[in-house]
Amino acid sequence: MSAARALFLACLLLGSLLSATQAVAQVAAPGVSDREIVVGSILDLSGPAALLGAPVRDGMLLRFEDANAAGGVHGRKLRLVVEDAGYDPKRGVLAARKLLQRDQVFAFLANLGTPVVMATMPAIVDAGRLHLFPFSPHESTYSPLHPLKFQMFPPYQDYMEAATRHMVKSRGYSRACLLYQDDDYGLEVMKGVESGLAKLGQRLVERTAYKRGATDFSSQIARLRSARCDLVVLATVVRETVAAMTEARRNGWAVDMLVSASGYSSQTHELGGAAVEGLFGVSVLPLPYADGAPPRLAAWIGRYHKRFGADPNVWSVMGYVLADLFVRGAEQAGPELTTARFTAAMERLHTDGDFLGSPGYRFSPQDHLGSRQGRLAQIRNGRWVMLTDYLE
Amino acid sequence: MLRAMLTFIQVLLSGLAIGCVYGLVALSFVLVYKAADTVSFMQGELLMVGAFAVVVLQAAGWPLAAALTGGVAGAALLGAVLERTALRYTLGHSHLSAVLLTFGLGLMLRGGVTAVPAASHGMFVLPLPWADEVFRLGPLSLPGGQLLVMAITALVAAALSLFFRYSRSGLALRACAEDARSAALMGVPVARMHTLAWALGAALAALAGVLLAPITFVHLNMGFIALKAFPAAVLGGLTSLPGALAGGVFLGVVEALAGLVLPEGSKDVVPYLLLLAALLLFPAGFGARRTA
Repeated sequence: MSAARALFLACLLLGSLLSATQAVAQVAAPGVSDREIVVGSILDLSGPAALLGAPVRDGMLLRFEDANAAGGVHGRKLRLVVEDAGYDPKRGVLAARKLLQRDQVFAFLANLGTPVVMATMPAIVDAGRLHLFPFSPHESTYSPLHPLKFQMFPPYQDYMEAATRHMVKSRGYSRACLLYQDDDYGLEVMKGVESGLAKLGQRLVERTAYKRGATDFSSQIARLRSARCDLVVLATVVRETVAAMTEARRNGWAVDMLVSASGYSSQTHELGGAAVEGLFGVSVLPLPYADGAPPRLAAWIGRYHKRFGADPNVWSVMGYVLADLFVRGAEQAGPELTTARFTAAMERLHTDGDFLGSPGYRFSPQDHLGSRQGRLAQIRNGRWVMLTDYLE
Repeated sequence: MLRAMLTFIQVLLSGLAIGCVYGLVALSFVLVYKAADTVSFMQGELLMVGAFAVVVLQAAGWPLAAALTGGVAGAALLGAVLERTALRYTLGHSHLSAVLLTFGLGLMLRGGVTAVPAASHGMFVLPLPWADEVFRLGPLSLPGGQLLVMAITALVAAALSLFFRYSRSGLALRACAEDARSAALMGVPVARMHTLAWALGAALAALAGVLLAPITFVHLNMGFIALKAFPAAVLGGLTSLPGALAGGVFLGVVEALAGLVLPEGSKDVVPYLLLLAALLLFPAGFGARRTA
């Protein structure tokens, strides 16, 4: 009996000793050793957003492998640990716990999906880990200011307001309408479109919604047509963009349409063909077209294809660019990498556009959102062509 | 007035076409349910895998007709293999084990497709004949894709009804569905009929996937349509093949027209409200009288 008790006490003692040393190590920098920096990412590789998750992961991997091939960041190799949450907040919480406790990651990069981000961000920030560039338009990912939260994707509301204003002003529309996905995404776009129109003294003439995963858009298009819209803003993703535009054109309705950055994809014209010619869209990062690419971009596309067996898309570019921002931040933070040093370095980080065509990202101690801008593009002859520079 | 009429007909046609796809998937639910007494939760995944199989075969250089036949036959084979290797062992256990097994197999199918880089990076077009053409009938435009869906659904329904009425296997399958024990005593190979039912169910789902392709393209999530097809099957009483088809078409049409006529947002609610009402008023489904 007493032997068992002694053993129990010994275990207790050992346990507290271990956790104490662990705590000391954590203050130094979790996930950072002499040899490597461990970075975690909660993506969707099997759920409804798997079409985004896989290229984002591959883009990040490519950037990290590039950095490692060049000797790493101050001699440390970057290691990406990806967990699949399937767009499910419950699985997201489990994944976050695993990455926090077992993998001891230094930072979370590009966690995907607003429900997942909302469920996991508090625990991540409470554990003192960086929460960087999540795929969620939610304001809480960068505001109110928090030393651990940084965002690089412009919110739908900001760039859709600018794009709507630019479109209406330069092309003289007077009856703008909206087809939107009935969720946070659609509502954010709606806010942007409404505030853009309000600045020009206009209102939405008609709005109609669809549920995520809808297959048939005939009734929505019929509704918009009977409202005699002259511009239809689409808060849709690729498939719905093509379906809506095809439905309109099939019935002989040649109205102009403008889609948010979620519809700005090469798949839009690959799938839509002639029906989506002339579609306007907003781009926050340009698509990597192999055809006619400058040498550096062409080489990048070739390397991506060789490494992952698929052509890169706009999501791959996003993964690469956000991983690049992480690498730059970590480099600027110096050889003694800590969370506080990384935050300080990020707050000084200003980038200029790169060979992938990204906008310059500007972070500051007062603003952790790197960019608020998108640019206007249009599908001409089966590919997206940029019409403007990044819109203020 | 004419404009409104035209719009109405146009929306009605869209509803009919999507309803036919619901109906085909509902048929596959019912077929499996009747023969194996199990609700299969992998029909959506079978639909997706079948459509992908056709895309792959076509990309490999097969002519369209061969790719279609190959894809659907491949799905049937997959259904049969899954029955022989896994589902068969749930016979005699509780209903739940078979249902959960189909759920798990569905996840595995989905995971398998996700593991292919090209499939997880994008969507694909299946160039069916006439799918992109629009036929004009006076001021009315008839999309070829929708006409094709309706025509093939009608053909499949006719073929199935002939199969169940006149062919030896069809009759045997019906006998198993009525009463497996008596059928076995009469010399019907019940186990083989089970395999046949799962194979047919998988083939029907794959065919629905092919027909869905011109409307939604081939992608990882196309199987979610099964969420709509299942209510259609229930609407038809879950045991009646004609009932399932009618339930699907009904659901598609009601959904489309509700979006046009009723206030914004009701499109997605109405089918389920109707389902609730139908379950309250006709607990055994519309098609119940045929089989009861």
